[in-house]
Amino acid sequence: MTDNFANTAPKRAVPLWAQILVWIGLLGLLGILAVSLMKSQQGTVQLGKEIPDFTLTLFKGYEYNGQPQVSLAELRGKVVVVNIWASWCKPCEHEAPDLEAAWRIYQPAGEVIFLGVDYVDTEPEARSYLAKFDITYPNGPDLGTRISQALNRRMGVPETYIIDQQGILRFIKIGPFASVAEIQAAISPLLAGK
Amino acid sequence: MIADFGFGVLVVTFILSFFSIGAALYGALTKSYPWAESARRAMLLTFPLLTLSSLALLYLLVGGHYEIQYVYSVTSNSMPLYLRITALWGGQAGSLLFWAWLLSAFTSAVTLRKWERDREFLPWVILVSSVTLAFFLSLVIFFENPFMSWWQTVSGEVAAMFRPAGAVLLTPRDGRGLNPLLRHPGMIVHPPLLYLGFVAYIIPFAFAIAALITGRTDDRWIRITRRWTLWAWLFLSLGLVLGARWAYDVLGWGGYWGWDPVEIASLMPWLTGTAFLHSVIIQEKRGMLKQWNMLLIILTYDLVLFGTFLTRSGVLSSVHSFAQSAIGPMFFAFIGLTFVSSVSLLIYRWNDFKAEVEMKSMLSREALFTLNNLIFIGVLIVCFWGVIFPLISELVTNQKVTVGPPFYERATAPLFGALMLLMGVAPLSAWGHSTIKTLGRALWKPALLAALVMAVILAAGMRNAVALIGFGLVALVLIVTLYEFWRAARARSKTSAENFFLALWKLTGRNRRRYGGHIIHISMVLMAIGILGIEVFQTETQGTLPQGSSLELAGYTVKFDSVAQFDTAGGRNVTRAVVSVFKGDRYLGDLYPRRDYYYESSQPMTIPGLYSTLADDMYIILVDWQPISASGATFKVYHNPLVNWLWIGTFIFVFGILVAAWPEKDS
Repeated sequence: MTDNFANTAPKRAVPLWAQILVWIGLLGLLGILAVSLMKSQQGTVQLGKEIPDFTLTLFKGYEYNGQPQVSLAELRGKVVVVNIWASWCKPCEHEAPDLEAAWRIYQPAGEVIFLGVDYVDTEPEARSYLAKFDITYPNGPDLGTRISQALNRRMGVPETYIIDQQGILRFIKIGPFASVAEIQAAISPLLAGK
Repeated sequence: MIADFGFGVLVVTFILSFFSIGAALYGALTKSYPWAESARRAMLLTFPLLTLSSLALLYLLVGGHYEIQYVYSVTSNSMPLYLRITALWGGQAGSLLFWAWLLSAFTSAVTLRKWERDREFLPWVILVSSVTLAFFLSLVIFFENPFMSWWQTVSGEVAAMFRPAGAVLLTPRDGRGLNPLLRHPGMIVHPPLLYLGFVAYIIPFAFAIAALITGRTDDRWIRITRRWTLWAWLFLSLGLVLGARWAYDVLGWGGYWGWDPVEIASLMPWLTGTAFLHSVIIQEKRGMLKQWNMLLIILTYDLVLFGTFLTRSGVLSSVHSFAQSAIGPMFFAFIGLTFVSSVSLLIYRWNDFKAEVEMKSMLSREALFTLNNLIFIGVLIVCFWGVIFPLISELVTNQKVTVGPPFYERATAPLFGALMLLMGVAPLSAWGHSTIKTLGRALWKPALLAALVMAVILAAGMRNAVALIGFGLVALVLIVTLYEFWRAARARSKTSAENFFLALWKLTGRNRRRYGGHIIHISMVLMAIGILGIEVFQTETQGTLPQGSSLELAGYTVKFDSVAQFDTAGGRNVTRAVVSVFKGDRYLGDLYPRRDYYYESSQPMTIPGLYSTLADDMYIILVDWQPISASGATFKVYHNPLVNWLWIGTFIFVFGILVAAWPEKDS
């Protein structure tokens, strides 16, 4: 038994170009992580703040009052329920019937408007999703993820943002609603306050 | 008092781990064995100390000491004892302490072994372990302290470890309680098993680093850590499957795996870890793939840290994310240190770990194992790209993009198919030298049988190509693997005059790793049957039913009998429907899909009614209901064929690992 902690020197070095490539890859990865970390620490848009204006281009058959586009500014004076979904998102299917049922409750009075924002999706799949759940409120794709950016969202679906008559964000729901009653409970205080 | 004690012990352990780092480093550099031995003893002491600290937190959790912020945020009066105990890992701060405790348990256990033959590894293994332990302790002490109390000050309530000037201790009467989604038996064991798997990979990693630093290029580090790696792999695999089972039982979307970023983050080390299990065999048998094995184990451990970082720092959002936390920058620094130092060492020693022999045949066992490794890396690249692409895209184009399950499914399905094919072919090839002729001679009979199985399935009316190929591959693997057992057992029973089953038993005992591996292969294809069943053949329907009427799916009839709403223990309001399930006219039983509403967290939880057989599951979710009127309730019903085989496969998997990892008798 010897106290042998011997370190032998390496035989031959790895070629410089290979070393450089490995380091570029590794430092690049760390750089991406660092930037993402910084962004994530800024946090999402806050309750009680005004939402920057955005325009949603709508799917054919899901227009708002026959217009192919709708902007948040036009909807001042109404409560706006922005639901972010995707056809590949399983939890979205969970809440889809409830959202549609809630829409049918509020639609006649005209005080609340629902906007479905389809996040990172393809149109045929999105359309069959909308048809499957018999959704009738305005829906459109989040082109260039501009709306996600306006809300400074993270990457999850579904998420729902409720904006009041003055354009102030009043409610955020991450994940699916569990019942029509839950959706109503989120909307009704805003109507009472009018 | 107890909180101060728990925190004090943490600080002492933290200092001790620094002593261990210093002593190990000094011992290694001056080649002084007493210093290394001193570091080893310091390391051994961290385990009882962290046990004390964890017990202190458990005491506070069980006793309902809501003046402690962590206790307040994860427990409540209505929670039963076992949930208060599991609340130890129910939040960020507690789970970090738990993690540190597991880490010290593993590293202490490994330092207890006899070191005479491998004394040069000792200080370096301790160094890697203590640096990691010191890092996790620093998170617990400086950023996420589970022992902080609530204080009432003039400006409001604050959480702090020590009494701020002029403050009085605040003791809330009840806590907020554990997230209802986590109050499930699967959730109680899923996180600790996953942590065990993650933490245990530090052992092979630490030995690999020690081998890199000392330049000991034989396979000693692999032989020492072989069994540790198997246990790590077992825990990681079980953690993944139990997470899937939890999702199936609790999340109520009829699935088990959603390609969520955090799921992928824990799958990635599993992929490299699985590749590693195969490739170390090549190094031991043939002296090849030494560089590759180093790369794989470093990658595995780095991916463990990477996944943990993504989950806990708030970079990615998902069902698994912890609340926004301050540990991000600190964790980032540690990841950077680990990545840079391990890659530097790898580059430094790269050419010392050249293979001793060249590969001779592209069809030899070692070539097929290498191919298996490359395919695992292929799956890894798909997963890694899916996780990292949204971050890159946001950086470059300022657009947030994400890739959904279809991307992963399409990209990985053919790769998983190829892995199954290899599972069928590789056991038939020979080490060193195999030709088309020798391999073909061994393969044609099982391949023919598998083709026959496919023909039968086709004749039975299945027209789905993915499922057809999938079941064909499953058949191939089962035939080849069972044939291997049968052939070897028969040969043994002929020569040794043992009966067939005794021969089978002895045979497996003699070569545990090989036959344990075969059992694991069988379990994997059984799981594949379940996955194919639910992925390809899942059907679903939804309907609002008046009381007494029914709904049909896949030959089953679901009749809605009644719905009731009541309060129950644990602060829940339960809405429970009673439905009866029929197959044709035959009554199978009642199911109770329900919706639990937790008052304290105002959060609902959906619990499906499940009728499960070997052939299929009926999975019924109560979606909505009308409270008073008899107008009915809405149900969503899934028919999930064959999914049970996923869970059955898991049991066989555990058995296979026990066979492979069971200590051999000293001969």
